[in-house]
Amino acid sequence: MTKPATSPQATVLGNALRSINGRMTTELVQVPGDFGLGQVPSRLAPDATTTSVCGFCSTGCGLKIHLKDGQAVNLSPETDYPVNLGMACPKGWEALTPLAAPDRATTPLFRGADGVLRPVEWETAIGAFCDRFKNIQTEHGAHSVAWIGTGQICVEEFAFLGALGKFGMGMKHGDGNTRQCMATAAVAYMESFGFDAPPFTYADFEQSDVLVFIGANPCIAHPIMWQRVLRNPNKPEIIVVDPRRTETAVNATQHLPLKPKSDLTLLYGLAHLIIENGWIDEGFIAESTTGFDEFREFVHRFTPDKVAAETNLTVGQIYHCAESIHRGKAVSFWWTMGVNQSHEATRTAQAIINLALMTGNIGRPGTGANSITGQCNAMGSRLFSNTTNLLGGHDFKNPVHRAKVAGVLGIDERLIPHEASWAYDQIMDGIDRGEIKGLWIIATNTAHSWINQNSVPDLFKKLDFLVVQDMYATTETAQLADLVLPAGGWGEKEGTLINSERRFGPVKKVSRAPGQALSDFNIFRLIAHAWGCGEMFREWTSPEAVFRIVQQITAGQPCDITGIEGYQMLDECGGVQWPWPAKPYGAMESRREGALGTDRSRNPELQNSVPEQERRLFADGKFFTPDGRARFVYEEPRPVAEPTSPAYPFVLLTGRGTSAQWHTNSRTAKSAILRQLYPANAYVEINPEDAARLGIEPNSRVEVSSPRGRIVATAFVTGTVQPGQIFMPMHYAETNKLTHPAFDPYSRQPSYKHCAVNLKPA
Amino acid sequence: MPARLLSDDELEEPTVTPSDPRASARSGSPRSHFSSDIPVDPIATFVDVLLAEQRDLTAAERFAFKHRSGEIPSQARYYRNLIPLSKPGVGEQYAFEVNLDQCSGCKACVAACHSLNGLEDEESWRTVGLLIGEAPEKLGADIGFRDPASGTRHQPSAPIQRTVTTACHHCADPGCLNGCPVLAYEKDPLTGIVRHLDDQCIGCQYCVMKCPYEVPKFSKRLGIVRKCDMCSQRLAVGEAPACVQSCPNEAIRIAVVDVAEALAVGRPSLPGKFSKTVPGKGARPPNPFLPASPRPGITVPTTRYFSTVLTTSTLRAADEAALHPADPHLPLVAMLPLSQLSVGLMVGLALSGSLSALKTGVTVSFIAMSIALGVATLHLGQPLRAWKAFLGWRKSWFSREVIAFGQYHGFLGLFTAVLWLKPELLTAAIGHPASGIAALLGLGSVFCSVMLYADTQREFWSFGRSFGKFFGSVTLLGLAGSGTLLDSSACWGATIAVFLAKLATDLEILRFLKVPGFPPLKKSALLITRRFSRIAFARVAFGICGGVLLPGALLVARHPFGRATGLVAVLLLLAGEMCERFLFFAAVAPTKMPGGISA
Repeated sequence: MTKPATSPQATVLGNALRSINGRMTTELVQVPGDFGLGQVPSRLAPDATTTSVCGFCSTGCGLKIHLKDGQAVNLSPETDYPVNLGMACPKGWEALTPLAAPDRATTPLFRGADGVLRPVEWETAIGAFCDRFKNIQTEHGAHSVAWIGTGQICVEEFAFLGALGKFGMGMKHGDGNTRQCMATAAVAYMESFGFDAPPFTYADFEQSDVLVFIGANPCIAHPIMWQRVLRNPNKPEIIVVDPRRTETAVNATQHLPLKPKSDLTLLYGLAHLIIENGWIDEGFIAESTTGFDEFREFVHRFTPDKVAAETNLTVGQIYHCAESIHRGKAVSFWWTMGVNQSHEATRTAQAIINLALMTGNIGRPGTGANSITGQCNAMGSRLFSNTTNLLGGHDFKNPVHRAKVAGVLGIDERLIPHEASWAYDQIMDGIDRGEIKGLWIIATNTAHSWINQNSVPDLFKKLDFLVVQDMYATTETAQLADLVLPAGGWGEKEGTLINSERRFGPVKKVSRAPGQALSDFNIFRLIAHAWGCGEMFREWTSPEAVFRIVQQITAGQPCDITGIEGYQMLDECGGVQWPWPAKPYGAMESRREGALGTDRSRNPELQNSVPEQERRLFADGKFFTPDGRARFVYEEPRPVAEPTSPAYPFVLLTGRGTSAQWHTNSRTAKSAILRQLYPANAYVEINPEDAARLGIEPNSRVEVSSPRGRIVATAFVTGTVQPGQIFMPMHYAETNKLTHPAFDPYSRQPSYKHCAVNLKPA
Repeated sequence: MPARLLSDDELEEPTVTPSDPRASARSGSPRSHFSSDIPVDPIATFVDVLLAEQRDLTAAERFAFKHRSGEIPSQARYYRNLIPLSKPGVGEQYAFEVNLDQCSGCKACVAACHSLNGLEDEESWRTVGLLIGEAPEKLGADIGFRDPASGTRHQPSAPIQRTVTTACHHCADPGCLNGCPVLAYEKDPLTGIVRHLDDQCIGCQYCVMKCPYEVPKFSKRLGIVRKCDMCSQRLAVGEAPACVQSCPNEAIRIAVVDVAEALAVGRPSLPGKFSKTVPGKGARPPNPFLPASPRPGITVPTTRYFSTVLTTSTLRAADEAALHPADPHLPLVAMLPLSQLSVGLMVGLALSGSLSALKTGVTVSFIAMSIALGVATLHLGQPLRAWKAFLGWRKSWFSREVIAFGQYHGFLGLFTAVLWLKPELLTAAIGHPASGIAALLGLGSVFCSVMLYADTQREFWSFGRSFGKFFGSVTLLGLAGSGTLLDSSACWGATIAVFLAKLATDLEILRFLKVPGFPPLKKSALLITRRFSRIAFARVAFGICGGVLLPGALLVARHPFGRATGLVAVLLLLAGEMCERFLFFAAVAPTKMPGGISA
């Protein structure tokens, strides 16, 4: 370190009595960190580094883990990882901190007769798990035990849980909290493209000249994606469709502050204008789509005047937006929870897809109808959790698929159910009706995040046995459990995660799980063994072994990854996007090989080579539907489930408040640094007009009530919300006491973004 | 659901029907682990295997990257253009430059500062705030669009928000450095970086009060403050500071700035340094540094904020209405009134010319001052280093206060010793001048106390308010103390008058309750009336008992317990002054950078 120079104001005596060095100064001395790290704190200087993908959101950033004796001591973003280009959001920077939280679950906990959760040995815990669930199954049928999973565990763990739950333990119903974030995108893609296939790669952010964000606030929700937008050299037109003046809307060139949940009408209105003005790509429509004529007929009545009236926008705003889409040479459409969490979410997502299809904005650089995913492994949950889809994006109803999966797993085909699981809300209803008596919750926090959260404790009282498997015994849900299984978290296990752009990235074991905590993978192994189906999972000995099984299952699917050679290859390539098949494609006739954007089978040079780091789908206009054509899917817009009324005159919008909170804050709240980045307590954004009218002072306490609950929070008076609307961040547990349990009929995704509330000074 | 312990029946494995296909997969697997006839529990063994596996860290062996171990850090490709190519020249220094329009509000800079500098769990030298307001709508006519239906469109202005990232501003005239009593700050003559010498710091936290931007942060573990040094160790080897490295959007960079230019912007006319702002009277000129932040004239920050919206918008801090109590500094709450009692007593003795009361009076004064100084050291994080506190005397009112009180206390000690050990020396010729000298030294010390707070530029601690409170305490406690010692009606009469006058000046802050908006003095008034209403009530109650009722009783009727009553009055007044001083510290609204949403 450099020695401080003498400054003029210091006297000779002053300098003589100055302690320039010492114990405290030494604490902050930096040393060259090697491994291309630059200066690092000497206390934390690593002896090795390794790369792991982040375990918070679906951006899937590469993090360079600084290791000392194999143990992670610090981290920094990975310079070369193709996703994040050397950057990370605060969650990524703080990814190691939640592992060291004092309230980690370190032993299994069993609720005794006195109602107190007490530490027990694993043998006892697993014994209780097996016996209680088996007894319930004996008494109420095998299907009376269900699980609710997550989007936060690894692909290999999803596959294990799904196979164990359905094939090993005989459960029929399992779902994940991905139902709350990505189900809509999955269903929309499935119906429109023939497979749950987000077509884009992050380079598209940089290659568009028009970007349309619908119900998405990437500045806060996906800061690293916004980083890619800002690296776009084309001075792009950025259009944001959002009722709020979000951080992203402020940075846009056009903001359409529409009436909440009028997005479907707006999108049909845009389609109408584009068609009326002849701004469509007729060649692409003719070659690659089906159903356009009917769609044209359908949107005919969505005239600008009607749409303007129903969306609270001007005709000019709508026209300008449509014209901008027309003028763009490469237009990309991006949506996230503002669309997915709606009463008509699937059709809204498909209305976005329709715009991309009719303007030919798909399959080319900088284009696409692109769903930005939420959780780090939402796509892993969608494809491999064996819930809505049979493992690997297969169909439970399809006998060929069942035979194939049974063959790969070496199990009796009769073990595979013929239909998909109930969705999350249907499982909750099943509990209410007494059909589900045993529930196993893995890495999610239902008692915080479930819509109309007030209902959860009473609902769970109807269960005979509730098991919660989590890193922390302190989550709202774990506190309700009969049995808590202590799980190792991200960084304490190996596996892979799939990010928004279909990239498999490796996570590494860089830290020891505390006490007796076991990785979810090892808990599943233990349960399989104790349940008595260990034989079925004889080969499921390590995450990488399961990865190889998963690979075999994907053979011939759009998500074929048989060409990946193993974790080492994922590590060296900066992750690999699906598809990456080993063999020439086309094993399944129903899947058009052309749908794979970069098809190795057609290009001998690509055979057995390293995959390009950024690949997209549908380059040749062929989709995964039986006829290879994308579908125009549409439906009449429906009114919201709970319109405002004189008693509840405000619309409550919910969403992400900061980049520093995640997943009911169960992990992010453990970091003292992240806690500084958001208000400690719940707040409500209120328009100044409403505040003045109701006599609400800035920073005063207000009461928000809905027919379901009543909460008190701090008023944040800001013009970024419109009059008549209020916004509450979802990470405060209070918020979901108010939300209304409405669901999209196709995706069963809850409509968190709209309910009627009243507001008054507290 | 009511949980039950397992009964024996439940411990039996459920029967599996032969048609159950799962049975086929079970062949060879152990039967229930609960069966007592199996001697070795295979589950326990398997648990041990899994736990051992769980403890085995594999990433280093299986995957460790041999990242390039060259001299140039790999991240340099991203930040190479964000740091200056050359060192600052004469009259120049390094400065942060922030483009608010590039910032998306992700706050990675805060986390990266913490991680890359290896700071404590909750410590980061960067913070973020939020500005909200309105700016002219940029859409519409300026890009040639016309609404076919209604002509031009759009409201004239639209809501905007800007996240503000902030660290040390490495000021041209650093308040922290000027205030530090032990010269624990350096402004590097080459780079202009304001660095803190951690091993020199005594943990007095005066720099925290002196910095208009709340930059130095006190660490309880270390008992010192620490602050941003612009990652000077990184800059020295050509690397970018942590925040610059970590911003995904290149919103933060290091620039070389002209110090004279910074001074010209910050202090267009130097007398502005002590200019007062009267709330509600006249529009202040826009802050050239950043809206909703302290006047740059105080310390001349060198950070430069850029945004297209700063000049065209009305921006306010997201937390402008939030009330945050400040650190009450309890040792100082005790120290200040005790020292003022001591001085007041000496002044009373000097003015009264009484020799009879001198021995008791000086002794009490000395004891009060000794307690004051003893308590004051509790305020220091590193009391063993406190002896250095005189070093900053050239600029620091803290050093001056320490020196002044040191002299005063020393003199009082000597005086007391003489009074007790050589009472024969106590003649009018010696006693009167000695009392006078002690009183003058004491008054000088209290003046240093006043200046110590006035120099922070906090409006609630303005010279007038601090002077009124501190010398008000000197007068009030001095009169009551003298009244008790001398048994003087005149003193008690004056006590009532002075108390009422002081109470009136203390309550002066309440007039700001009616001021619109949330200027600092209104926040102080709100804190006093809302958060600290009980202490405010106690302050008045103690004061009225000790400053009106008891003195009044003593005036109306002399009684045998007059001195004891007087003593009670003094103690009540002292308690009242301590409550007042608690509010002085806890209800101050420091100048600060714009904060985030507060809830």
